[in-house]
Amino acid sequence: MKYILLMSGTKAGVEAYHAWSKEDIEAHMGVLRRISQDLTESGEFVATQGLAEPKEAKVVRGEKNGVPVTDGIFPESKEFLLGYWIVDVPNAERAYAIAGRISAVSANMPIEVRRFAAHEAKSG
Amino acid sequence: MKYILMMNTMKAGHGVPDWPKKDLQAHIAFMMSLNKELHERGELVSGEGLSFPDQAKLVRADKNGRPITDGIFPESKEFLAGFWIIDVDNPERAYDIAARISAAPGPGGAALNMPIELRPIMSTPPQEMV
Repeated sequence: MKYILLMSGTKAGVEAYHAWSKEDIEAHMGVLRRISQDLTESGEFVATQGLAEPKEAKVVRGEKNGVPVTDGIFPESKEFLLGYWIVDVPNAERAYAIAGRISAVSANMPIEVRRFAAHEAKSG
Repeated sequence: MKYILMMNTMKAGHGVPDWPKKDLQAHIAFMMSLNKELHERGELVSGEGLSFPDQAKLVRADKNGRPITDGIFPESKEFLAGFWIIDVDNPERAYDIAARISAAPGPGGAALNMPIELRPIMSTPPQEMV
């Protein structure tokens, strides 16, 4: 079963992270790399990705004639996706255990866990 | 340039939308046709649909690193319904694709005009993070 683990935070949260000491950021990234390595070795790793900063986010809507209208104004409270992990695991408990490991090394941030829909789009 | 397009249209507790079956089928057919076209153009890196928010869990580690799960979310929380990762020549092309997804057909075949959040993918972590 495929699950996606979503790490989200506000702009203020991202700024607070940038204020961490270099050693703390290095230790944090080091454990995240280690988790990806462990998941690769156990055959559970599908994909992981970090996203660019919330300040680069745009929201796009199609006009009536299909022309894109872009907007970059978001409420302060908006949670932005910061990064995700896709894992292929035997059960939900295993997905929660991996999310717990990521949470533990990331200031106990909550990690949203979602199963993929049965009808997945095919990867390119 | 890689971008992620996110459909953050779901609300807490919701399951399958209460649309007539033929409208749901038309919506899915539109998405499948768009994915096929993006794939043929070599622009689709990946695309996935997520299960509905009524199955979402929030996980935190306790002091011992054990997972604590919670399924209670504020009403206002936006849930990711699905995403596309695309590899395109410029931001304008990414905006065009997002606009097409935005205008996907909804009930009665009318364009949904839903907002699609668009973000560049980090090619490498920022300097201070490596």
